[in-house]
Amino acid sequence: MTMSIQNKPTPVAPEKAPNAWQRFKETHVWHSFLKDRVAQLSFTIFMGYVLMALFAPMIAPFDPYDATQMDIMNSELPPSWNEDEGDPQFWLGTDAQGRDLWSTILYGTRISLTIGICAVLLQATIGIIIGLIAGYRGGRVDSILMRFADVQLSFSTMMVAIVVLAIFQASFGTALYQDLAMIMLVLVIGIAEWPQYARTIRASVLAEKRKEYVDAARVMGLGQIRIMFRHILPNTLSPILVISTVQVANAIISEASLSFLGLGMPVSQPSLGSLISSGFEYIFSGAWWITVIPGLVLIVLVLVMNLLGDWLRDVLNPKLYKG
Amino acid sequence: MPLLEVKNLDVSFGLRSGEIKALRNINFTLERGERLGLVGESGAGKSVLGFSILNLIAKPGRISAGEIYFEGRNLAELSPEELRSVRGNRISMIFQDPMMTLNPVLTIGQQMIECLQAHRKINKDNARTIAVQKLKQVQIPSPETRIDQYPHELSGGMRQRVVIAIGLLMDPDIIIADEPTTALDVTIQAEIMELMVELCERNNVALILITHDLGVVSQVTQKALVMYAGRVIEQGPTREIINDAQHPYTQGLMNALPQMAIPGQRLNQIRGAMPGLQSIPTGCAFNPRCDYVVEACTKQLPGYTVSGNCQVACHMVADMKKAQQAPEEVSS
Amino acid sequence: MIAFFIKRLAQAVVVMFVISLISFSIQDNLGDPLREMVGQSVSEAERQELRDELGLNDPFLIQYGRFVKNALQGDLGTSYFFKEPALEVILKKLPATLELVFGASLIILFLSVPVGVYSAINPQSLFSKAVMGFSIIGISVPVFLTAIGLIYLFSIELGWMPSFGRGETLEMFWGWESGLFTVDGLAHLVLPCISLASIMLPLFIRLIRAEMMEVLQSEYVKFAWAKGLNPRRIYFLHALKNTMLPVITVGGVQIGTMVAYTILTETVFQWPGMGFLFLEAVNRVDTPLIVAYLIVVGAIFVVTNTIVDLVYGLVNPTVNLAGKK
Repeated sequence: MTMSIQNKPTPVAPEKAPNAWQRFKETHVWHSFLKDRVAQLSFTIFMGYVLMALFAPMIAPFDPYDATQMDIMNSELPPSWNEDEGDPQFWLGTDAQGRDLWSTILYGTRISLTIGICAVLLQATIGIIIGLIAGYRGGRVDSILMRFADVQLSFSTMMVAIVVLAIFQASFGTALYQDLAMIMLVLVIGIAEWPQYARTIRASVLAEKRKEYVDAARVMGLGQIRIMFRHILPNTLSPILVISTVQVANAIISEASLSFLGLGMPVSQPSLGSLISSGFEYIFSGAWWITVIPGLVLIVLVLVMNLLGDWLRDVLNPKLYKG
Repeated sequence: MPLLEVKNLDVSFGLRSGEIKALRNINFTLERGERLGLVGESGAGKSVLGFSILNLIAKPGRISAGEIYFEGRNLAELSPEELRSVRGNRISMIFQDPMMTLNPVLTIGQQMIECLQAHRKINKDNARTIAVQKLKQVQIPSPETRIDQYPHELSGGMRQRVVIAIGLLMDPDIIIADEPTTALDVTIQAEIMELMVELCERNNVALILITHDLGVVSQVTQKALVMYAGRVIEQGPTREIINDAQHPYTQGLMNALPQMAIPGQRLNQIRGAMPGLQSIPTGCAFNPRCDYVVEACTKQLPGYTVSGNCQVACHMVADMKKAQQAPEEVSS
Repeated sequence: MIAFFIKRLAQAVVVMFVISLISFSIQDNLGDPLREMVGQSVSEAERQELRDELGLNDPFLIQYGRFVKNALQGDLGTSYFFKEPALEVILKKLPATLELVFGASLIILFLSVPVGVYSAINPQSLFSKAVMGFSIIGISVPVFLTAIGLIYLFSIELGWMPSFGRGETLEMFWGWESGLFTVDGLAHLVLPCISLASIMLPLFIRLIRAEMMEVLQSEYVKFAWAKGLNPRRIYFLHALKNTMLPVITVGGVQIGTMVAYTILTETVFQWPGMGFLFLEAVNRVDTPLIVAYLIVVGAIFVVTNTIVDLVYGLVNPTVNLAGKK
């Protein structure tokens, strides 16, 4: 042990490379990506979604938030491939308020993805910090934090989110709530799921802590925070990556479910979930497209993220916290 | 007819990148009541050999050639149902780590009785009586209460005794013990080994002892097989191998024993490490680590040379001893 | 055993305390009870008097104490909308939700175990690969979309199944309205139960498969093979019993999630259960009803967690129910 510390005065920080792309091309991840058709397809579709979301204002032929562009006379038009009733202006048809469905879906995807990603960023930030502290400090701090995580986990995220949002909606009133809906969704989904990260990070930290390079860093007199963030954190990246992919998918489902219940995004500024919800009333009268098309868009988005998550898990094979 | 005869046994693992041979051309025999040691570094294939006798190799692995005759029947060709009637009945196994070998959610009694009931028609009470009796044989105190306990309530040494008792349940002909004492405290190791040998002797059971410890082999066994990179490189009576090792690898193992070192000096380790199964060098697998290496060693797989009562797979032995007999047989 | 129950009881008290605090603060801050009671026509002085009389001007702790005292006697206030005791309104809807959860749990239990075990034993078979493919799709489809899809296909297009409500129910003991004993009631139960099961089922199949595959690699399963046991005994006793340990733990957490998903399922199918009622109560700002729902759900959590711990303790001998580790 002491021998090796003397021999290796510089701890290894593997994620730091000047030509990262060159090194990435040498990795196992890249090689397996080249071989895996499902992963390639999922990644392509996911990037397609990201581009759609980023450039929604440029792609969309109409602005779904602009009431002046809506004409109630155009409401519930079927997709344009239905030649009898469709209008070539609206290739995916229109919703009950006469909004172009394609534009609304583009903006809805943008909202759904934004909420999903922001919520996961929040989860990850809280979870990583708590996990690092718990794992690195150990002892009483660790047991209190993990106890807290257990309690949080024992309440189902959906249940907590529904109750919290319902209470807020009831106390703020619907109008004010709708303005704050996006922030509230990010906060609720973000805060409810941090233990996922905290437990996994803590487990990796405990494993990494025993390794030599951390001893080496400590012997060199580096500060705790520096050791945690510069030396331990980079080595826990693969579990974080795997969890994050799946968590974004889950967050998008949660957001859609909450919006479907009327506790999320308002119909005037719909996410995919609230769009589906608004179309549900019309499904019995035959206007299936308002529900089905955004539904498919949502399912495919979540599916490709889950497929990517599965693939990453197989490739990186991190030790994830079970249960 | 020997009790067990392994002939030209090959075991391979089918991986995506191709087939890997874990065992090549293994030959040996075992007589009733005889004790045989399988020696080698970890990864040499000794455990695979032990498991392949009962055709218990894990999934991508399979017996790709050769025969295993037990009482005249070829175990490699038996149906799963026929094999099942041999396993735990005529040939039983003892695993390395008693902490992992017993099922944590079943009582000791359940795990013993099920074995008896799998092999003969017997009711629970009678099976229990036999189980208690076997626990007594392995010197477990108050077996009547221990039998109803779960594994986690027993110490490591106790658990290994239970495993041995399970091995003895059906009065088998052969016990295959895979490093049975490695996972135990040093103080208990000798005790357990002694118990095993005594029980084998008393019941005239043959023992195949898989170990990396030459010391144990010399004390316990009559015959030894030294394995390296999936091949037997030397086999014969234990006494001859210990006293007069022929193969440079066996010599190296002997010299590496702590007893052989001069106090205050480093142990005489063999330099280098055993190659992985995917990168076995051509010729003699040991050649990169061998002090006596000649050109032939890097090109040609050495056949077996008979030297005394031993068989040795080394080119140099043949040279040095001026082979009186032609190499017995050369594998692929 | 007694220690175990005392410990659980203590936990239950803590959980219910937290819920009661939350509930009380909702009741205190949401809406003005006076407005609900007397309307606008009463003068400010009279209002103040009424407040004193009702104890609304008392210190927080006294008000809270009164709330707890009433709650313990089963009095959680009167629903503004139904004009009936809130707890009674909720409990009347409890059977519908419980039967929904019961049906979905049956589906999950009887499908996930055999399918998970089979695909763990034969991971390379076509069936297992198909199961894995379907399960990832299943995980990716939100419950409400499954529900909408089922309604669209089986109710609207094919017309085989009713699309909303509970159908015909029978009155059982203690006013328990059950849909389990009439053909119509069962027909109404099918689609909602499938929807509710749809998201958990693939999760459990994947979990059981993964755990079982890990257990099958364990030394004790190898040892069981070496003992010459019957494969059925190895798979279904040695392996499955160990597989179920983590599954039970996860299952306990998932029961909470399932209660949350009943809200979604009940909304789509207009199932007259607690979840549907809760959402209506939220829209109507019917505070006593919201509070009653939270307390009933909290109680369900406590009870199910206790049962799960008990079952886990029975399956896993290394757990000492008394809590000593």
